[in-house]
Amino acid sequence: MSRRRQSIGGATLVLVLVWLVGYPLLITLLEALGLPGAFSLAPFLEFVGRADEWRALWQSLWISAASVVLAGLVGVPLGLVFEGTEFPGRRTLGALIALPVALPPLVGVIAFLFLYGESGFVSRAVQTVLGLDKAPWRLSGPVAILLVHAYSMYVYFYLFTRAALVRIDASVLEAAASLGAGRRRRFVRVTLPLLGPALVGAALLTFMTSLASFSAPYIFGGGFRVMTTQIVASKLNGQIAMAQVETVTLALLALLGLWAMRRAEPGRTAVVGGVRGIAPIRRQLRRPAVRLGVAALGWGLALLLLLPHLTLLVISFVPPGTWTTEAVPPVLNGSNYRSLASTPERLRPVLNSLWMATAATLGAIVLGLSAARISVKRGGRLGGLLEILLSVPWALPGTVFAIALATAFSVSRPELGRFVLVGTPWILPMAYLVRSLPLTGRSSLAGLRQMDPSLEEAAASLGAGRLRRIWRVTLPLLRPAILAGASLAFITALGDFVTSVVLYTYDTRPISIEILSSLRLQDTGVAAVYGVLLMLVSATAFLLWGRERKA
Amino acid sequence: MPPFLSLNRLQKSFADHTVLREISLEVEPGEVLVLLGPSGSGKTTLLRLIAGFEQPDEGQILVANEDVTPLPPEKRNFGMVFQHYALFPHLSVAGNVAFGLESRRVPREERLPRVTEVLPLVDLEGFEDRRVQEISGGQQQRVALARALAPDPRLMLLDEPLSNLDPSLRERTRRELKSAIRRVGITAVWVTHEQEEAFDVGDRVALLNEGRLEQVGIPEELYLEPQSLFVAGFVGRASTLKGRLVAGDRVRLGDERFVGQGATWPVQTVGDLAVGQDVVVSLRPEGLELVEAEQPEALVGEIVERQYRGEVTYYQVSLEMGQELLVVGESDRAATGTHVGVVHRQSKRPARAFPLPAEETE
Repeated sequence: MSRRRQSIGGATLVLVLVWLVGYPLLITLLEALGLPGAFSLAPFLEFVGRADEWRALWQSLWISAASVVLAGLVGVPLGLVFEGTEFPGRRTLGALIALPVALPPLVGVIAFLFLYGESGFVSRAVQTVLGLDKAPWRLSGPVAILLVHAYSMYVYFYLFTRAALVRIDASVLEAAASLGAGRRRRFVRVTLPLLGPALVGAALLTFMTSLASFSAPYIFGGGFRVMTTQIVASKLNGQIAMAQVETVTLALLALLGLWAMRRAEPGRTAVVGGVRGIAPIRRQLRRPAVRLGVAALGWGLALLLLLPHLTLLVISFVPPGTWTTEAVPPVLNGSNYRSLASTPERLRPVLNSLWMATAATLGAIVLGLSAARISVKRGGRLGGLLEILLSVPWALPGTVFAIALATAFSVSRPELGRFVLVGTPWILPMAYLVRSLPLTGRSSLAGLRQMDPSLEEAAASLGAGRLRRIWRVTLPLLRPAILAGASLAFITALGDFVTSVVLYTYDTRPISIEILSSLRLQDTGVAAVYGVLLMLVSATAFLLWGRERKA
Repeated sequence: MPPFLSLNRLQKSFADHTVLREISLEVEPGEVLVLLGPSGSGKTTLLRLIAGFEQPDEGQILVANEDVTPLPPEKRNFGMVFQHYALFPHLSVAGNVAFGLESRRVPREERLPRVTEVLPLVDLEGFEDRRVQEISGGQQQRVALARALAPDPRLMLLDEPLSNLDPSLRERTRRELKSAIRRVGITAVWVTHEQEEAFDVGDRVALLNEGRLEQVGIPEELYLEPQSLFVAGFVGRASTLKGRLVAGDRVRLGDERFVGQGATWPVQTVGDLAVGQDVVVSLRPEGLELVEAEQPEALVGEIVERQYRGEVTYYQVSLEMGQELLVVGESDRAATGTHVGVVHRQSKRPARAFPLPAEETE
């Protein structure tokens, strides 16, 4: 009886997940092909025939490839320095420079704008020093996009390098030394090859993040279009069919990336000998000059990498209209914060973002955890299907989901599971939930897989029923994994820009949209305040995540 | 013959914890010296000092009269076999074995012949192209030995090379490593915490305890003539009784309060012991014999445990005077609960008397 109830529960869950994740994508694909009306390849043929579409596709690809190279050039050396040597302040700085990965992309972009943009600190400084009568550069086009990408995505290389270095068995390096290999040879012949799979992983992750990147190309791109901005432009211009075809194309590219990542998953560096040894000890820098040099370099780099976010903080204290031609802002006070707190219209987006992110995160925890539990317990084809459904929203760009949801839920066909949700307060939380599912689901999966199944069996043998087992054994043990996934999900939803820009309504406008309209109104101070708010909440959630993960 | 490896008064501390105190040792050319000791005794640290992974706070390491103490590991030309093998997971068997040749800039065309020359030494011919993950634990450890042997090192160091293997594989791999080392004739230092392994592979055994060298000698010396109570207890099975030296070679066992329950047994004394001094006597099970309780000079007690081992049986006897003795006898002599006497047969295995440990003399 209870077995049957479980099966029914499992089937319902699969249906819900398919409806949320797979169905909108399927409908988008069908509509792009003219279905359910007359099958037509016309939009695809038009896509293939248009030079600007090919250009956007090509630009997406090369921007992503270049982002990989640049992010690697910044992230790998940073990882090597921070994991390989010991210097004052290493731990604190090491955590700080991972922070950009937790901040919403839009915040990074506007921070960058305030620092290096036409009227940013750096260009004003250059203008003043050289006595120019206008800004020395315009921050736009591919160079600007690449700079922002390198600035935020180096974290993948940095974190992957550090994690892989820790995993290297110290005795492997000692073995190389005892075989006559000096420091350089050990690095080239042992350390680097062992880092290989991690670097491939970081490269693919950077490539896919870059392919999905929307905020940077949207703000800085101007006429330079990549696939994500091209899709939104088509949608805004009312070319729905074309937007759908572009979405399908981008989705296919991303799925190709996901497939490559699965194949590249490390197996080669599996530990030999069953038991893993201890990680290599960090190189103690003995000579004071070298120690000072490395510390200065580390601090300098960290400062450079965190400078945009510090700028954001400063700008948030610049009252509107007070900073015109001066090199540095003449007045700093809290008027922007006061105006935000006292104007209901300005507070509204904050409350919107908070409730929508909270609702989406809670939903994602329940769905993700249930799906992960069934997937691990039942395994087989059902388990595999659930796992794919939990992964897909992670691999697909936010723009793809935004268009898919907009397509599927702008029509009332209840018998087909389609309702008009676009334009209602429900569509954004739903979009956030779908995008958060992989974060809660996959961390639950990882947590459940690490759990010794005999623990639940022991509880059962002691007379605990199913609910009691979940409540008293599984949940407490999974707490760190669930919290980790939930805090990342919350951060993502709170700062979301890419799906919001397609799906928001005036009443449900989230913080990111308000930042954009403040910028349009030249209200930079208020935009910065919103940015600082997002930054603070995200950083708190991220640090909480780090603590839980360590526990 | 002059020693090949000499350690001179090596001293090592981590933070404020002294791990090695004044270790001096010499190893002859072609000799296999085993460093034996319980965990935390400092044996692995000593090996890592020899290898060059750690630097001694004081003392010197000489190899063939050359001071290698300041040299980094890569300049010492020693081979090392690690507890967890430390094979390079990204290289094949041949790639692993050739690594040291490559580091020493042996030309490419000479490397493969050397690899095919070394692999048969560890019974792995034809394994060149295998991935190191695909072979068994015992084979992995032999690859590790081949890798260490390939560059023709001056000295071979082995850090608990068998401890990561299944018990079923351990003895076979031990024989294989031992015979490969003998065949090459290389001088070796082998670390283990297992006495049986130490006695099997070592020409001589150095027993370490809490960073001190307790005794160095051939296995027979350690077993038959332990120089300290620790050695007597760590090597083989032994029971200890407290007693008082009544003559240069006789000890009175038992408490004076139990007149009639004690006995006077012959002993060999170790160190400076005066007549009338309290001592601890170490007794091997095979030097004791179960007899009738009434026999003269017998300690009286009851059999509390019986461990049947086939050809012999071990009996744990709880003495009436309050201590326990382990006695080996022929099987099916007596059941638990039997009231027995225990006598000493010096001809079989002499008892050895040691000074009381420092903490008990106060």
